[in-house]
Amino acid sequence: MVAAIGALLGFFANWLSPRGLSLTRDFFFLSNRPVTNAVVVANPTQTLTATNPVSPLEQGVRARLGAEGLHVADSNLVLKLFHDPRCQQGLVVFIDAREPGPFAEGHIPGAYELDYYHPDAYLPTVMPLCVSAEQVVVYCNGGNCEDSEHAAQMLGSIGVPREKLFVYAGGIVEWETNGMPVELGERKSGRMKGPTK
Amino acid sequence: MPSQPNSLIDSAAVLARWVLGAIFIYMGLHKVLDPVGFLKLVNQYHLVSEPFLLNSIAAVLPWFEVFCGLLLLAGVGVRGAALMLIVMLIPFTLVVFLRAQEIVATQGISFWSVKFDCGCGTGEILVWHKLIENPLLILLSGWLLFSGRGRAFSARFGLFGTPAVGSPATN
Repeated sequence: MVAAIGALLGFFANWLSPRGLSLTRDFFFLSNRPVTNAVVVANPTQTLTATNPVSPLEQGVRARLGAEGLHVADSNLVLKLFHDPRCQQGLVVFIDAREPGPFAEGHIPGAYELDYYHPDAYLPTVMPLCVSAEQVVVYCNGGNCEDSEHAAQMLGSIGVPREKLFVYAGGIVEWETNGMPVELGERKSGRMKGPTK
Repeated sequence: MPSQPNSLIDSAAVLARWVLGAIFIYMGLHKVLDPVGFLKLVNQYHLVSEPFLLNSIAAVLPWFEVFCGLLLLAGVGVRGAALMLIVMLIPFTLVVFLRAQEIVATQGISFWSVKFDCGCGTGEILVWHKLIENPLLILLSGWLLFSGRGRAFSARFGLFGTPAVGSPATN
């Protein structure tokens, strides 16, 4: 009886809660995990060499994303795209796949918010931007966090051409570690942390 | 059912009931407030490959913990709540142990230095601490379940018919 009542209450509370989880969504693409080689784009004309080693973590990210036809972008490409004039024209778009709290604590300046676990409120804004952009860079914390990968997969599955989608594997942690500027609060809040480069 | 009243043991049982209740309310609320974080932690164990089941566990379990904690605090359906805690704790403890073993095998570190967020609501913790803490919680829950003690300050110790202490039909 305790189990039955508790479970029912749990389901009801989840349904009511603004932080509640969708029960049917495949957040981690559990039913689709083939592994093949990925496309890595640092500089389109650059090839990987023995002097440009790749970490096992990044190799794993590449393998997973390659199976989905997605690209991994390293910090050099991300920096290049950040300074690209097309960014101001909306032709290069940055998407932050984290929850609202971490987004407000600091994001890549100009990045659009897309809470991967509660995307419904964000997709109406983000989708048209991604479809019309030439390149879309999706990021999260980086490292072991896979939210950016899943968000990129989701965008690809709902109509954003996959050749445009880049996953910044290093994420906001690498961005900040590299001394890059970070915007606080809402998008285009004007409140910055760190040097402007 | 206790055959002889023993105020010291009964007091200890009431205290155990409250401590267990408070612990599970705390741990449950910690997860209720961050269901996405808990979902990711549950996924890290790779126990479930069906999205609905995985999401249901992550969505419901935290609330269930809070519910059982409240039952223990209030003294309602104590045995049922204690049984539910045992049902949750035993497999969870085993899973944590197995994950720790996996980390030892893949990373080559000592078992005593294995540290990760197991998803219990206390953040990153040395696993051996958790493997001592959880059996203690299981023992406390088992004591409440089988001894029937701790009836003082209970709204309804047994859900079906067992009255609280002080009523005409006590025990």
